[in-house]
Amino acid sequence: MARRQSRVLQDDEEVQLDMTPMLDVVFILLIFFIVTAVFVKEPGVDIFRPESQLQESEKPTLLVAVTANDEIYVDGNVYELAQLRNAFEQLREENPRAEAMIQGDLGAPAGTVLDVQELLMDMSIPVIISVEEG
Amino acid sequence: MRRKVKRGSDNADVDMTPMLDIVFILLIFFIVTATFLQEQGIDMRPPPPSENEPTEPNPVILVQVNDRNQVFVNQDPTSELRVLAAVSRIRAEQPDSAVLIEVADEALHGTIVLIWDEMKANSIPVSITRAEGGEG
Repeated sequence: MARRQSRVLQDDEEVQLDMTPMLDVVFILLIFFIVTAVFVKEPGVDIFRPESQLQESEKPTLLVAVTANDEIYVDGNVYELAQLRNAFEQLREENPRAEAMIQGDLGAPAGTVLDVQELLMDMSIPVIISVEEG
Repeated sequence: MRRKVKRGSDNADVDMTPMLDIVFILLIFFIVTATFLQEQGIDMRPPPPSENEPTEPNPVILVQVNDRNQVFVNQDPTSELRVLAAVSRIRAEQPDSAVLIEVADEALHGTIVLIWDEMKANSIPVSITRAEGGEG
């Protein structure tokens, strides 16, 4: 306190701003954004989503794409249906509250989409189907 | 250690500016990468099986989509765009009936979502089942 008082009284020629409160605020913001950062792993393929009239806004963290060629993409890699469970287990370890979204192409086989949906439901991961506002 | 660069003043202030720069850059990075990713989705999960009520009281309209993506409503061939008209006609006679979409494995996802969405948008109860031959 004595130091601060003396500075005020001294009336220096250079006025120094006290940055500490701003720094506190910036740090709190920084920590907030670090904590809330969820790094969503995009499947890495372009798909044409079906359009729909009804839809809900969702914030999925686990994205699975099923292409028209019956390939399943997770995080940029192609998986077979049998390997998918392991891939999901790993992703769930990173983010235990994962919510999945299946991005099925218009021409994707419905059987594969349903297979993936059943697998995710079996692992009790909430799952929704991606659509486009039509 | 106690040498002062600035003459006269007795406060040894640490220069915070470089740290502030770094913190700001980190802050901007995390703000930019913060994906408030909003995706549009529908919930097509089947309802949880209710064991205490095995009987289906409502009559069922069977909408079948086969491996060649042909659509049948109660065995009558139709097109995917006319499913709603066909279902509405049947529901006019039986207002309580629900729609059951029977999906073959090779049917197109787009068709299923289209039919599902049309039923939901018109508040017709709808559920999905897989055709015989597919795994349960």
